[in-house]
Amino acid sequence: MSPSEAERHRVFLRQFTANEAAIRSFVRRLVPARADADDIMQEVSVVLWEKFDTFREDGNFRAWAFGVARYEVLAWLRDRGRDRLVLSEKAVELLGSEAAEHEPRLERRREALEHCIAEAAPAQRDLLLRSYEPGARIAALARESGRTEPGFYQWLYRMRKLLLDCIQRTLAKEEWS
Amino acid sequence: MVMNGSLERLFHSYLDGTLSREGLAELNSALETNPEARREFAEWLDLDASLGAIAKGRAAEVEAVAGRVSPAATWKAALALAASVALAAGALWFWQGSTRAFALVKASTGATGLSPDEGLRGETREIAEGTVKLRTRRGAEVVIEAPAVFRFESPQRLRLVKGRLAADVPPPAKGFTVVTPDGDAIDLGTRFGIDVNENGGSEIHVFEGEVVARAPGLGDPRSLRGGEALAMSEGGGDARELRSAAFIQPDELPSLRAALAAGQETRSAAAAESLRSDPALVSLITFEDDADHPGVYRLVQGRWPGSCAAEFVEVGDHLRLTLGEGRDFAQLTLAAWVRLDRLGAPYQSLLHTDGWSEDNPGQVHWMINGDATMRLALRGNTLLPGAAGRHGFPDSLTPVLPEQGRWVHLTVVYDSTVGTVRFHLNGRFDSEVRQQVAHPARLGPAQIGNWDKQDRKLSGRIDELAVIGRALSDAEIQELHEAGTPYR
Repeated sequence: MSPSEAERHRVFLRQFTANEAAIRSFVRRLVPARADADDIMQEVSVVLWEKFDTFREDGNFRAWAFGVARYEVLAWLRDRGRDRLVLSEKAVELLGSEAAEHEPRLERRREALEHCIAEAAPAQRDLLLRSYEPGARIAALARESGRTEPGFYQWLYRMRKLLLDCIQRTLAKEEWS
Repeated sequence: MVMNGSLERLFHSYLDGTLSREGLAELNSALETNPEARREFAEWLDLDASLGAIAKGRAAEVEAVAGRVSPAATWKAALALAASVALAAGALWFWQGSTRAFALVKASTGATGLSPDEGLRGETREIAEGTVKLRTRRGAEVVIEAPAVFRFESPQRLRLVKGRLAADVPPPAKGFTVVTPDGDAIDLGTRFGIDVNENGGSEIHVFEGEVVARAPGLGDPRSLRGGEALAMSEGGGDARELRSAAFIQPDELPSLRAALAAGQETRSAAAAESLRSDPALVSLITFEDDADHPGVYRLVQGRWPGSCAAEFVEVGDHLRLTLGEGRDFAQLTLAAWVRLDRLGAPYQSLLHTDGWSEDNPGQVHWMINGDATMRLALRGNTLLPGAAGRHGFPDSLTPVLPEQGRWVHLTVVYDSTVGTVRFHLNGRFDSEVRQQVAHPARLGPAQIGNWDKQDRKLSGRIDELAVIGRALSDAEIQELHEAGTPYR
């Protein structure tokens, strides 16, 4: 790698890393399953790098990346989303166009989430994160934790609610002034 | 419009892929018509994406520990890129290391166990010596000085169990909170310092902007503005004098590091060694633990990582010693490294012999005046008519605080045989004052950092005070400064 290329690469990585969570969240909002979002995200990262030449250094990387991601999501919905339960075109359109507006709030929420995860009871946290691992099998986890499958989903619902409440509380505390 | 609770049920089922066709229709209609529903939907989906990322990262760590695969292997995106651009090893590390870190180590001076670019997450860290500079994900710069124990609870919450920190918080990191054993300091866009003392009590010092202090002992939260300081304790809060120099600021670190890298610590130690072998040396006080002097003061970090300096904080703080064994000195050089917190009025003591008696001609008082000039007063001495100097005492011209909050080297050379007092600041000659009556200098029982008759507390730290029974030349003083400076 030539020095200038290495430098360009470094700049890209810095930008991509800083915005990775935002892009992932953006993609996740528009497709039904996390596994699909992961696949699209991988595609998006490659396209971003390949097209990085066309990105102006003083430009808004996140806005540019959202644009690329939106294009990739629409292509995916067109090719693969046909036989799936996907959001309506209009819902996708609205969520996509509001993304920049949602992002600052979501960013704060992601930070608060890490705090909330750390505060959660270790056993619960462990089970929750295992259910989120790629390829996790809910039926097996349900059995292992002594629950029925619907019971496990019910537990997941409560955990998500707990975390969302904790995020809300944490942000309320931070914004105190 | 759908009720809130059932909307959440729809989100939940959508996430798990268990939503029916009817449910999806309901969800679509809510999202198409209701901005609030879209807002909440975004939050639920964001939670899902974040948990997925955390779980993936954690699984990678567990596997890496187990030695099965490198953490990189599970980073599909990283691998896809690696294939196309042949990632440099360092860049790949950066990729993984910074995605979840709360803060990165930006620089370290002599702090072992923390290396530059290392990511800090929720783990407890300890530094026994040195200073470390961190940068949080939101861009807050935090300098922590040893000895310290701390851990990040999130990018916006730093728990300081022990130690000192100075924080420079840009607008994106507004709300950055330092949690101490005695209460919280919540930043509202500012520069501030926190001192968590081993003997209990945590202090907030606000250099600029505004900080809110919240502590059980305080009752209502209290707002502190630039120039204000507060001690939080179980019993409540006490206003404090601002001690800006008690904290190493982010902009001080680069030159401290450069000096360390250039071997200044070794050079300083060599210079101290050669002073010790000077037959005229009366005393070299380095404040290292082994030379335990009586008095009331704190032992804190000196100019070098892990070295010691005496710090005077409370009214009445002082260090006692006896110098010179009753001898008189025709010539005397006093030199010290000092870090001043503030300008105390009217005087701050560097070295005061006890009392101020006509029966003790030539006794020495070395101090800093309220206007930051330096003074050397010898009992019974008088100024030569027309000589520079006010109030009948030799004073330096230049204030000794060109850069507040940094280490400065102060020197005065007295020669009774020719009747001169010569001041130096940071190795540079400042001015000479002529004496008409010039007694030989007399030492004896004395205090560093105060006077036994009246409070003249030095507000700050003092490191390496040298008392030499001869007049050092300008060149020697310049060399003393150059060899001892912790900056480059």
